[in-house]
Amino acid sequence: MATVYVNDKAVDIGDERLNCIQAAERAGVTIPHYCWHAALSVVASCRMCLVEVGERKVDEKGQVAIAMQPKVVPGCQTPVKDGMVIRTADAKAKDAQERTLESILLNHPLDCPVCDKAGECLLQDFSFQFGKAESRMVDEKNTPPNKPDLGPNVGLFTDRCIMCSRCVRFTREVSGTAELHVVNRGSHSEIDVFEGHPLANKLATNVVDLCPVGALSSKDFLYSQRVWNLKTVNSVCSGCSTGCSILVDSNKDIVYRLRPRFNPRAQGHFMCDEGRLGYHHVNDSARLGQYLVRGEQGTKAVEWAQAAGLCREKLAAEASKDPGRVWFVFSPSMTVEEAWLLANFAQKLSPFVKLVMGPVGVVGEDDTYPKDRKGRPAQPVKFTIRAEKAANLRGVRGILNHFQKDRATYQQFLAAAKSGQVDACLIAAGQSPQVYKPSVEEGDALSAVRFVAVQQLFSSPLTDRAHLVIPASAFSEIEGTLVNHAGLAQATKAACAPSRGLRTDGQFFLELLERKGLVHAANLRKEIAKAVPAFKPLEVGDLGEYGVFCEKLKEQS
Amino acid sequence: MSQAKPQKVKWVKPPKLGLLEQMYFPTVISGMATTLKHMVGTLTGTGDKNIQVQSYPEERPTLPPHYRGVHRLNRDPEGRVKCVACYMCSTACPAHCIDIVAAPSPWPDREKYPETFVIDELRCIYCGMCEQACPVDAIELTTIFDLTGMSREEMMFDKEKLLSVFDKTVAAGTDPVRTQPGRLGVASLPAGAGLTGSSSAQS
Amino acid sequence: MDWNALIPLLVTLITIAVILGGVLGGVAYLTLLERKVSAWVQDRYGPNRVGFDFGQSWLWFLRKAWGLGQPLADGVKFLLKEDVIPGHVDKVFYLLAPMIAMGTALFAMGVVSIGDTPAPPALVMSKPIAGQEKSGINVLTFPTSIEDVKRLERSGELKGYVDQNEAYQKRWKFSINPGADIGFLFIFAVGSLAVYGIVLGGWSSNNKYSLLGSLRSSAQMISYEIPMGLSIVGVLILVGSLNLERIVDWQARNGWLAFYQPTALLLFLTAIFAECNRLPFDLPECEQELVGGYHTEYSAMKFAMFFLGEYTHMITTSFLTVALFLGGWHLPGLEAFLGADSYIALAAKLGLFMAKVGGVVMLFMMIRWTILRFKFNQLMNLAWKGMMPLGVLSLLGSMVVGQFGLSPWLLLPWSLAILLLVTALGAFLPAEDTKVHFKVTRGRAPSASGVVVRRPAGAEAV
Repeated sequence: MATVYVNDKAVDIGDERLNCIQAAERAGVTIPHYCWHAALSVVASCRMCLVEVGERKVDEKGQVAIAMQPKVVPGCQTPVKDGMVIRTADAKAKDAQERTLESILLNHPLDCPVCDKAGECLLQDFSFQFGKAESRMVDEKNTPPNKPDLGPNVGLFTDRCIMCSRCVRFTREVSGTAELHVVNRGSHSEIDVFEGHPLANKLATNVVDLCPVGALSSKDFLYSQRVWNLKTVNSVCSGCSTGCSILVDSNKDIVYRLRPRFNPRAQGHFMCDEGRLGYHHVNDSARLGQYLVRGEQGTKAVEWAQAAGLCREKLAAEASKDPGRVWFVFSPSMTVEEAWLLANFAQKLSPFVKLVMGPVGVVGEDDTYPKDRKGRPAQPVKFTIRAEKAANLRGVRGILNHFQKDRATYQQFLAAAKSGQVDACLIAAGQSPQVYKPSVEEGDALSAVRFVAVQQLFSSPLTDRAHLVIPASAFSEIEGTLVNHAGLAQATKAACAPSRGLRTDGQFFLELLERKGLVHAANLRKEIAKAVPAFKPLEVGDLGEYGVFCEKLKEQS
Repeated sequence: MSQAKPQKVKWVKPPKLGLLEQMYFPTVISGMATTLKHMVGTLTGTGDKNIQVQSYPEERPTLPPHYRGVHRLNRDPEGRVKCVACYMCSTACPAHCIDIVAAPSPWPDREKYPETFVIDELRCIYCGMCEQACPVDAIELTTIFDLTGMSREEMMFDKEKLLSVFDKTVAAGTDPVRTQPGRLGVASLPAGAGLTGSSSAQS
Repeated sequence: MDWNALIPLLVTLITIAVILGGVLGGVAYLTLLERKVSAWVQDRYGPNRVGFDFGQSWLWFLRKAWGLGQPLADGVKFLLKEDVIPGHVDKVFYLLAPMIAMGTALFAMGVVSIGDTPAPPALVMSKPIAGQEKSGINVLTFPTSIEDVKRLERSGELKGYVDQNEAYQKRWKFSINPGADIGFLFIFAVGSLAVYGIVLGGWSSNNKYSLLGSLRSSAQMISYEIPMGLSIVGVLILVGSLNLERIVDWQARNGWLAFYQPTALLLFLTAIFAECNRLPFDLPECEQELVGGYHTEYSAMKFAMFFLGEYTHMITTSFLTVALFLGGWHLPGLEAFLGADSYIALAAKLGLFMAKVGGVVMLFMMIRWTILRFKFNQLMNLAWKGMMPLGVLSLLGSMVVGQFGLSPWLLLPWSLAILLLVTALGAFLPAEDTKVHFKVTRGRAPSASGVVVRRPAGAEAV
């Protein structure tokens, strides 16, 4: 049991190995820092975290004596121990912070108006909190040329760089690809890549998040929005079964960027570029925007409630004839709540209707990082991009297992449809085109089915065959639970509203069930936890920032 | 909420009324006399000196240079739009009437410029927050006050229109007062200094 | 078909058309006059732009025309504006309210004469009070039975009545409904309906501001009907008739009532200001507190009808004031100079009547820019604590004079005396507690500790 005194406030840090910055954070005190990052090695190069440290001693008589060290020390490099005293706001430390900031700002161009980082820039924040407003610099600033093509997704505004070297350490330690390095010396230092080796690894854009200033910028987000206009919600990446915790930044129902959100239970600090850039389909104007009914007279658009009513009636009619010939195809990307509602609807029609897990996209093999210098995976693994491109395979499987243990596969469903054994089917909640694209054969297989309802994001061979086309919701529009490869159930929240006239998938299923109200994920979670034992941990309703583990779901097949 | 302290409150005593004044009608009559005096004065022309009216379309007012009328987008000495698309104006705007789309600039000496810059002049409340927010003195409110249009679309001022307001006001010599003169480098030079040279004498 | 029988109908229709047209046209130009007068009083020019050129260059000489085209432009604007009926209103009453407001104001014109209209001959007998024959006071009674008529025939009085009636029928009559004996009652009855226009307008709008405005104004209008009635009863007692033409006729013979009862005139004027919702009593509208008052939710022509109703009311009440107190068409010496019923005399009398009405209207407008608006409590205090007692005292004088057959000139000193007495009494009465101040608190709701604060003993006023 160790106690640290931060600005005279005692903090119990247990037996953890912390540095001054972390210990101070426990006490609610911010020590400004640029180069230090929890996921990277310590270099103590920025000197921003200079603090006074000392030791508190109690002699036999109970007399307390504090011995401070004569010089300020970098907080990131100084581990704390029992009885340590940290002072961050005294004259010495403040003076050090001010001087450090002044020297950091010597060559900084102060082009905040045109900088995309403005608003979430640590240099701005710390200058405001810890800096002094004036600079004594009279000489001309260094303005090295920008390097807009550091990599396919990243550009560098060289003059804004404060040489914290976070990005360099990231490519060396986390991605292992080591593209970035520091060239030149002293105040002429610059970040650069070698000729012919651009910053092109699959985790490259993380350096933009790591960069405490606006030097490294995402080309995707460049100049598209000012960050203070963005609305940020917690979400989960639906790119693969890693289920990275993310932040969705949107403005006026348009998603502008995704950022990783720290989650020690899921992926850690980072996310891959594939997931980060995998939101563009959300804003695509080609997305299905109407509920379409295709009959003999042609195609016509209907209201959402009409569409739900039609879907309900048709499926019920077919189920009353022969429930064994009515199939429901579940997408491995839909949320647990949506799967639960749809499965409930299927059960309401008849317990003998067939539930099927939809196609699961698998691309290559799991890609782990860091790599060694020959590009082979190295240990210890710090980040994994999974081959299984399904955000919620385990969650949907858990729901389906609850209702039907003995299920056909998607291939068997297609074969049955082809051979005329399917009267009606509902293919639910399409997946994003990066994850899975239906083939023409799949569409053709449905030609013999009397009633086909297809819920998709984009028109596809499936929707071409559908009698009822239901526009699906993108990941940014839904609220619910996604279960990743390790059985970690995380909550995702809606960042934007569906387009005008449309309803979210969950709302559509509620209408199918003729249940009143709106989709409220927390309540549905409680309902599911009560009904399905495998989802017991969801009974808390609010899953918190990091999510909860459903161990049983991990083992199911 | 605590009561205000007595010594901090200024108590105003109502004026004492005499008997005649309290009888109300004499004061009404004297008031009527004043009213009548002004009316007769105006009608007969003896009170013309009191008249403070300008016959507007014929007599046009000369407004002070700090008047907040229609916006203009300033040009830099090379005639390009000064704006750097920082969104400060649209952020400061309480009416949310400024819409900017930023893009990498086509010029080597700048990184960002507004691809489109639209002000909804109907939505604008002419508070002048945008010109105060602007870090490069690119947006200003001019003394043009009689803004009319036949449609809403016409009142959506785009970049070209706003720049043309600049050209018009520079040509007319009615440059607005700089909001923050000095210490801003090139940006704070009088508008159009590089273009006309003479207009700076106005402000 | 007896075409001759249609002539009176035709004449009446024409009179209606002329009078209504005149009133409405007058109302339109009254709005212009109002704006002009307010401009003059405030050292401005007023509307001076709209003429009658209609954008045609060859009508250049009509271009500005001192702004006389303004009412036309206003009317066109009101007609062409989008007529919004909000979704939350009670449609029937919402539509009914402006009609009532304007209709009632116009109705009253039915019995008001606008020029020289002779009093109809009275078929009455005068006989002394039973048992008091010596007092010399005769009571007018109307023939109620065949015997009475026969007695009148015998005494030759009926013959006189028939002759008089024939002469009366032939005379010019500047009135829609000449000789209405219930004249004044009719005006009062219809005038009381005006409050419905406002109450219905405010209530059916389904809007708090409207409702508050209409409630306030109905309280105001009902309160001010009482002093108005009291001020007129004195007139009726003196004249002995409700017929407006008789009242004018009485004044032509005996002198204007304004000289006998200046206090009643004052009360009547004050009351009609309140009835018309004019400043200083325009509380129903009061833009400051109630947005627009009862007509907040009205737009376009329906708003215009309220607006016109107010001005029509102003015209009607001005006519009444002139007829009741200012001698109608009468001016001393006029008939001696021009004769009784030459065309010139008729025209002069018409013009004189109009001039008097114009004077009262000008008074309306001058008062508007002179006296500040009353607070609601002041308004109510004035009606109930000031005007009511004054009216009762004034009425008392008329009753005494009427009962004992005294000279009506006695009323003048009485009238002035009570006016002085009551106003002076008001000055000596303990004034409203001026030490009460409203506490200004930040935010909307006053603090729980109370709305008003009293000046503490130690604090000195400056």
